[in-house]
Amino acid sequence: MTLSGYEALFFWIFGLAAIFAGLLTVMARNAVHSAMFLISSLVSVAALFVLARAEFIAGVQILVYVGGVMVLFLFVIMLVNVGAEERGRDEIFNNQRQVTASLIFCFLLVGGVLYSVNRGYSGLQALNQTPPDVLAAQQATRDQAYAKSATGSSKITNDSQSLGGSLYRYASLPFEIASVLLLVAIIGSVMLARTLRQEVSADDVDPEVLKDEIAREPELAKLEPRSE
Amino acid sequence: MQKYIWLVPLLPLIGAAINGLLGRKLRFSETIIGGIAVGSVALSFLISLTAVYSYGYGGHAEWPKPYLTSQDGFSFNWIPGGAVSINHGAEARNEAQAAAGHLTEKGPATTAESPRAALLNIEWSYQLDPLSSIFMLIVTGVGLCIFVFATGYMHGEAGFYRFFAYMGLFMFAMLVLVMGSNFLMMFVGWEGVGLCSYLLIGYYFDRQEAANASRKAFITNRVGDFGFALAIFGVIATFGTAQYTEVFEQAKSFPIELLGHWGILSWIALGLFVGACGKSAQLPLHVWLPDAMAGPTPVSALIHAATMVTAGLYMVTRTNVIFQHSQTMLLVVALVGAATAIFAATIGITQNDIKKVLAYSTVSQLGFMFVACGVGAFAIAIFHVMTHAFFKALMFLGAGSVIHGMHHEQDMRRMGGLKKYMPYTYWTFMAGWLAICGIIPFSGFWSKDEILWKSVETTYIPLGWLVWLIGTIAATCTAFYMTRLMAMTFWGKERFLEGAGGEADEAHASAYDKGLAKHDATHGSAGDRPRHDVGEHVGPVHEDVAHHVATHGHATQHDDHGHGAHIPHESPPSMWVPLAVLALLAIIGGFVGIGPAFRPITGSEHPGHRLHIVNWLNPIIWNPVTREFNPAEGAHETAPAETAHAEAPAAAESAHGSASAYGDVGFNLAHSVENSTHSELATEWIFIIISLVVAGIGMLLGGLFYVWRPELPNIWAQRLRPLYNASYNKYWVDEFYGLAVTRRTMDAARVVFGFDSKLVDGIVNGLAWLSRLFSRIVGGIDKYFVDGLVNTIAAFILRLMSPLFRAAQTGFTQNYALVMVLGLMLAVAAFFAKDIFTAVRAIIAAVF
Amino acid sequence: MLSFFNSTLALLFQEAERGRFEQMRHAAANPDLSKFLVIGALLFIIGVAGVLTRRNIIVIFMSIELILNAANLNFIAFSRYLSQAGSMNAVAGQIFAVFVIVVAAAEAAIGLGIVIALYRNKDTIWVDEIDLLKW
Repeated sequence: MTLSGYEALFFWIFGLAAIFAGLLTVMARNAVHSAMFLISSLVSVAALFVLARAEFIAGVQILVYVGGVMVLFLFVIMLVNVGAEERGRDEIFNNQRQVTASLIFCFLLVGGVLYSVNRGYSGLQALNQTPPDVLAAQQATRDQAYAKSATGSSKITNDSQSLGGSLYRYASLPFEIASVLLLVAIIGSVMLARTLRQEVSADDVDPEVLKDEIAREPELAKLEPRSE
Repeated sequence: MQKYIWLVPLLPLIGAAINGLLGRKLRFSETIIGGIAVGSVALSFLISLTAVYSYGYGGHAEWPKPYLTSQDGFSFNWIPGGAVSINHGAEARNEAQAAAGHLTEKGPATTAESPRAALLNIEWSYQLDPLSSIFMLIVTGVGLCIFVFATGYMHGEAGFYRFFAYMGLFMFAMLVLVMGSNFLMMFVGWEGVGLCSYLLIGYYFDRQEAANASRKAFITNRVGDFGFALAIFGVIATFGTAQYTEVFEQAKSFPIELLGHWGILSWIALGLFVGACGKSAQLPLHVWLPDAMAGPTPVSALIHAATMVTAGLYMVTRTNVIFQHSQTMLLVVALVGAATAIFAATIGITQNDIKKVLAYSTVSQLGFMFVACGVGAFAIAIFHVMTHAFFKALMFLGAGSVIHGMHHEQDMRRMGGLKKYMPYTYWTFMAGWLAICGIIPFSGFWSKDEILWKSVETTYIPLGWLVWLIGTIAATCTAFYMTRLMAMTFWGKERFLEGAGGEADEAHASAYDKGLAKHDATHGSAGDRPRHDVGEHVGPVHEDVAHHVATHGHATQHDDHGHGAHIPHESPPSMWVPLAVLALLAIIGGFVGIGPAFRPITGSEHPGHRLHIVNWLNPIIWNPVTREFNPAEGAHETAPAETAHAEAPAAAESAHGSASAYGDVGFNLAHSVENSTHSELATEWIFIIISLVVAGIGMLLGGLFYVWRPELPNIWAQRLRPLYNASYNKYWVDEFYGLAVTRRTMDAARVVFGFDSKLVDGIVNGLAWLSRLFSRIVGGIDKYFVDGLVNTIAAFILRLMSPLFRAAQTGFTQNYALVMVLGLMLAVAAFFAKDIFTAVRAIIAAVF
Repeated sequence: MLSFFNSTLALLFQEAERGRFEQMRHAAANPDLSKFLVIGALLFIIGVAGVLTRRNIIVIFMSIELILNAANLNFIAFSRYLSQAGSMNAVAGQIFAVFVIVVAAAEAAIGLGIVIALYRNKDTIWVDEIDLLKW
């Protein structure tokens, strides 16, 4: 899958951008900054996806990950009083021992992962001996076969089609399970994020706990349980 | 019919079992219990009667041979024979017999000749022969009368069923004793009657006196049984068998052991006689019989007058072969019997309890019976057993009737003049009195006179004249105290009307001495009386309290003695009918033994052929002259006329003939009298007259002392104070035994107990103490050492590891995440372990 | 020692025939599967470091998203490579990536719900202050 030409250039740009953004995500003081950097990292990775001819996934990444999950993150950041972090120079990193140990292990992990990639890759490399320009020519040939887009400036690949076909043919069960999982997640998150007042109104509090809570906050007693 | 004799012991046993096991559970009424008991004994009597009749007179009469049920009746192999063959001393026996010239064709039993004798095999079979037939009839017949009497006497008792159960059991044991065909069955019956005697004497088990008496009876019996058991061992060892027929067949050919020669048969006879002493209350072992009067009166009548005490006589007569082989033992038997007769007679003179008088009388009469055995007149002894059973049972039952009528008053000093209150009792008792005094033609005369005659003319043992003299004096005493009893009980002043006070009552007497109120008892009542406790008011028993209140106006405490006495009443028919039957037997029962002195009238020495008791018993008596059992009376039967003529010389010959069996026995009074009169008949009549005269003297003295001159007893008691005291205190025999035997045994028991409790228990307790000590040590080790070790190690580990593991619980999630990363790295490294090793080695190689 | 680094860096060279610099230039001009994997690896490490070192719980979550992203990149790279190599199941990598994104989204939702509940109870977002399980 050797990339060449402009693809290679964009690969490097987006690759380095992703790494850089990831680094900054971890090292940013402000949580919102972290979120922003993460977004940029995600977008870069989406671009990389495109370069790897997985356009659908790239789109899903942007839409779901960036558009859904990161927005959710930002909401929560706002909810949990991010101002406290801006006010003072609160420590953003853990105690020194934890950080030191983490960094040591992370370096070791780097070495190990790279080593392993290398070891595995030599085997893979043996499989593919065609020179890159030949591969590029082959790819170009295949690209010509695609249909033209509406504007005529680009071709429409069949990535979505193949992915969809495989997804619904061979992975339909995991697909359904995933949808149930999402349903459960929705319900769970709703339940987790309820306040006490909302729970009392929904008559969803253990009577003994309710007594304790009323003892602490007498106004709760006034809340009428919603009759269904 | 003979083959049904096995039912005779069984029926009373069944009756006893039913009464004993179900009597209380099913709450039988007295009628039912009495009916079962009396019915079973009656049936036994009927069966015995028919069996004896068919044995002696029936078509298939087997008399004189003994009939064993093992022939065609019921018998079973009781103790199966082992491989033990006892031929102990066979050669010695042979030699002795050859030397004595008594070797007969029937030599000692060897394995070849009589194999049964060599292997010890004991069977349970009944033997019906002349001796056992008499005893069967006596036991069941007199027993029947007594059972009937007892249903009336024991009326109202709570333990009615128990009484009859024990009595039935006694009947069974006694019948096994007399009907058994071997020594072991006799021993079973022997022990059985001893047990029943214990149970029945101790019938009133809540009274101390009865409990003591029953224990004394049993233990004294046991002493005798020891000797008997040794004798049985000797019999089995010597003869190799226990069956009578076989033993006596073998014993016949043994040499006679004369005076001074003590052989095996003398040992056996000694053992047997010791047993007889115990059972029949002869001199050293007589102490239990008077105390046995603590039991109910029917018990005294049956067991201690008619049957159990005669078991010794049965045994001696059964083994007369053995006894006649030992002259020494014959002498011992005669002397002991005579001594017992005079001893007991002299004690009976001074006793005040009516039952005690009769008890001593029994002991004395038993002495007479043993005298008869000792002088060789075994058949006469059995005859006297029979007549004594009749009149003694009669008198005991009569005494029971008196006691019952006097509301359980037993002291003769408080009786008197009862003849008009209790006529049946009186007249029947008179028959017994005349019989025991030996007045012709009552039964006692025939037997007692024959005994005296036989003792004076015996050629079996020396000192026959001494035995006769002692016997005569004892007969005088017997007449005297029996007349005394009659006088104090039935004639004279009615002393029971005089009320309490003085020495009329033992309780009162001692109370008077101790200064207590005259009415209060100092010790519990004795014998058959209703119970009174110490300090309880006693007095003449009133028929009912209401009558008493009406007479005196107050119910309990009174000081005057003038209250109305109760009136004795005659007994119910269930009690006086047996008395009448026994009185009839006492009157006419002697005619089966009319003596040879009456041969001018009767025409033969022993008239009546087989009905005469001597003829009937002849086949079982062994004749030391012919060394065979006596033949049946066939010889007499065929030609009574000739034998009447041939009597005189033949009798002289036989007299001299028997002299040759035992050698010269010294002075013989009868022979010396005969030498002077030159007529045996005259000699006999002289001695008959002498015995009648002394009986009359005794009766007259009794009448004098107690009827015409009642002040004489006290005068003479004062004059002969030491003799009186000795007699009254029974020669202090009981006290002597207590001191010498009982207390020494208890001392020994205490020593042994001390040994056991201190040493043996000490060892056991010591072991226990040791175990406890050991367990304490081990516990300490466990608690301090082992637990300490465990605790220390655990604490050490805890102290070591706990902070370590605790330190890992920081609660800081990222620490946990770090650990996860570490784990991931390790997994990856493990995957590439080989490569890493090579790389590390290469680095090291490159570096160094 | 050098050989170890050689192994590590060899993937950067991509081809053994040329000289080192040539190799590097070639590798840079024609980025291969290995480059994808390296980028993925680095993103992964950065994410792990972020999880372990930051105090802010939201930032920790964001680091977790980084990790998941790196994994996704890995899947997609292999999918592309294998499709080019001729495997029939090359699209499986993309299918995996879809599910990873689904799960990541669900997990983010739940996790942030927990964060909010935690913030309500503990009134803090600093992780080192949440140590109730401490001995």
